[in-house]
Amino acid sequence: MDTLIDLGGGFASALEPVSLAFALLGVLLGTVVGVLPGIGPISAIAILIPVSFGMEPVHGLILLCGIYYGSMYGGSITATLIKTPGEVASAVTAIEGYEMARRGRGKAALATAAIGSFLAGTLAIIGLTFLSPVLVKLANVFGATEYFLLMATALLLASTMSAGSRAKALISIFIGLAVGLIGLDFQTGLPRQTFGMDLLSDGIDFTIFAMALFAIPEAIRNLALGRGAKDEIQSFGNDKWMTKEDWQRSAGPWARGSVVGFIIGILPGVGPSLASFMSYIMEKRISKRKDEFGHGAIEGVAGPEAANNAGVGGAMIPLFSLGIPGSATTALLLFVFTMYGLQPGPLIFRDETGLIWTIIASMYIGNIALIILNLPLVGVFVKLLKMPKEILFSSILVLVVIGAYAIEFSLFGLMMLGIFGVIGYLMEKGGIPLAPAILALVLVPLLEDNFRRMLQISGGSFAPLVTRPVSLSIIILMVAGIIGPIIFRWWVSRRKLLADVTVS
Amino acid sequence: MTAFRTDLITGGAMAVIGAVYYIATFSIQETANIVTPRTFPAIVGIGLIVLGLFLAGQAVVRHRKDSLAEAGPGSTGPAESARSARPAESAGDGDGAAASAGESSLETADRSSAQEGVGGIVLEAPPEPQVRKVVFQFALFFVYLAILIPVGFLLSTAAFLMGLTSIYAPEKWIRNLIFSVLFAVVVYAAFVYGLAVYLPVGILG
Repeated sequence: MDTLIDLGGGFASALEPVSLAFALLGVLLGTVVGVLPGIGPISAIAILIPVSFGMEPVHGLILLCGIYYGSMYGGSITATLIKTPGEVASAVTAIEGYEMARRGRGKAALATAAIGSFLAGTLAIIGLTFLSPVLVKLANVFGATEYFLLMATALLLASTMSAGSRAKALISIFIGLAVGLIGLDFQTGLPRQTFGMDLLSDGIDFTIFAMALFAIPEAIRNLALGRGAKDEIQSFGNDKWMTKEDWQRSAGPWARGSVVGFIIGILPGVGPSLASFMSYIMEKRISKRKDEFGHGAIEGVAGPEAANNAGVGGAMIPLFSLGIPGSATTALLLFVFTMYGLQPGPLIFRDETGLIWTIIASMYIGNIALIILNLPLVGVFVKLLKMPKEILFSSILVLVVIGAYAIEFSLFGLMMLGIFGVIGYLMEKGGIPLAPAILALVLVPLLEDNFRRMLQISGGSFAPLVTRPVSLSIIILMVAGIIGPIIFRWWVSRRKLLADVTVS
Repeated sequence: MTAFRTDLITGGAMAVIGAVYYIATFSIQETANIVTPRTFPAIVGIGLIVLGLFLAGQAVVRHRKDSLAEAGPGSTGPAESARSARPAESAGDGDGAAASAGESSLETADRSSAQEGVGGIVLEAPPEPQVRKVVFQFALFFVYLAILIPVGFLLSTAAFLMGLTSIYAPEKWIRNLIFSVLFAVVVYAAFVYGLAVYLPVGILG
């Protein structure tokens, strides 16, 4: 009941004209960055951090959260019409959605993506509304031990549950940790890993790191590619909207995608991209029309698009109620909270009740705005795809440079941006995913601080890890989360091996 | 570049970076705390070394298996079973290969961007640009970063944009010029007058 009263209060202030304007601006910008290939929510939020510095905290946060979930909608438009996912979470939509568009069913693909996104997004926010207060109560018994464990779990899961090589995801995490430890030690004030450079004693700015890794390699790569074959935009003007059969075929995937996405979203260290992959695999498994997959199966659009939006809502839960980000984008949002002097977690629900519920209420409103904006305006967003590449990517480079300048106001900050841009490019070239590094960079100070406090309280003993009931349960879950996927992969590869043997 | 070479070079480079990082921790002042300021950096340095060697070793083991079982075409994918392989002790190889990494050309790397094995989702790897063009683009970017403060935002940005767009589409120079000047002016006005973020004025100031 308290929750509903709080939420009502949130709606009252989220519906004030200024808040409403920021929510609309956020989802609109989110859709735009989702549509534009090569710029995702991470780059967009990072570029806007210096701008949002001067805003009221609640407005800045409404805006940046709106960009996050808005980008999930935009990504599906690009994936469907030019087969280039606007952001990673839409990668599977680029398979089925594009095939649908080629077969003259583009509008149906866009519609099932948008409606699924809306339903799943709203369900996830309802989950966020009612689950967060529960987690906040639970968090009251959390001590340094539990926080340390949760953060370690987030990092471990980010590597074991990532798509692609686990070793490389772990390397990415360690790169993030390595960069995050540069600078003065919080506890003792001693310089660490500065290689004798005083300028490094403030550490590497997180926003610069995120912009350098996410915006620069992509922009440089596209500019260096020059004019290749032009992306062919699938026309969809004369397509039919969803038929009755489409609705029937989409309903199941929407529901399943919402649940899968929400659960995966809540898990620390795992973002919405994995949610959409999992939903796709699941739909393919249980479908009676397996042969249609890869050739424009509507289930393969409806499920993953619902899943990635539910994943965003799910990912907000550990961020808001525990202060632990589960993905690179929520890590960025955590940074924004702390920039405003706010500490997400139980404290924010107690001391800043109005603010946190206004943000949650704005997400309901933003989701409604997205579905209203998206379907009728899809033609307008498609025009963005016709923007010449050189204009788009050179503008992004300039915006990133302004962002970096506005943070440090120095040549040093600008050079850091360039150097980490090169590092990001080399990481991509080596197949090392970039997102885990960002998560690690944000978590490392918290991880170290809680580790130290844990050992100080226990007098140097690691016993609390297993003697405290909550921490023991986290350890058990963590081990299951790491061992589970390994066993599963081993089992699959073994079966495949056996199958190969019998064939030959 | 093959997946084998990419992994070997990446792993070798990571091991070297980890070693440098670990050595740097020796200059951190020791304290009497239970967890000293050195603890975490040292763990991270060692972690990087181990992971780098593991990646390089894994690549070597997979490569050997593939060359043994020559029959299988397009072989890197199903080599999941080689995962349990212990890291080989061939870090030296990796470092040597890293030195000659520069001259590789535009072949598409087998990026492991796809979900491995399980669902059979194969995503197309994005096209790879030529190395010299990438180096050139980065060089331009660094020149822009270097001149931004002394020359000022308006002039350096207009020049940078003009340069980039003209390399890409030289015949549209009028459009490029209009875009470059307009974008620089509009962004400058928006940030300085709208958001009170003061951008460098440089020689125009």
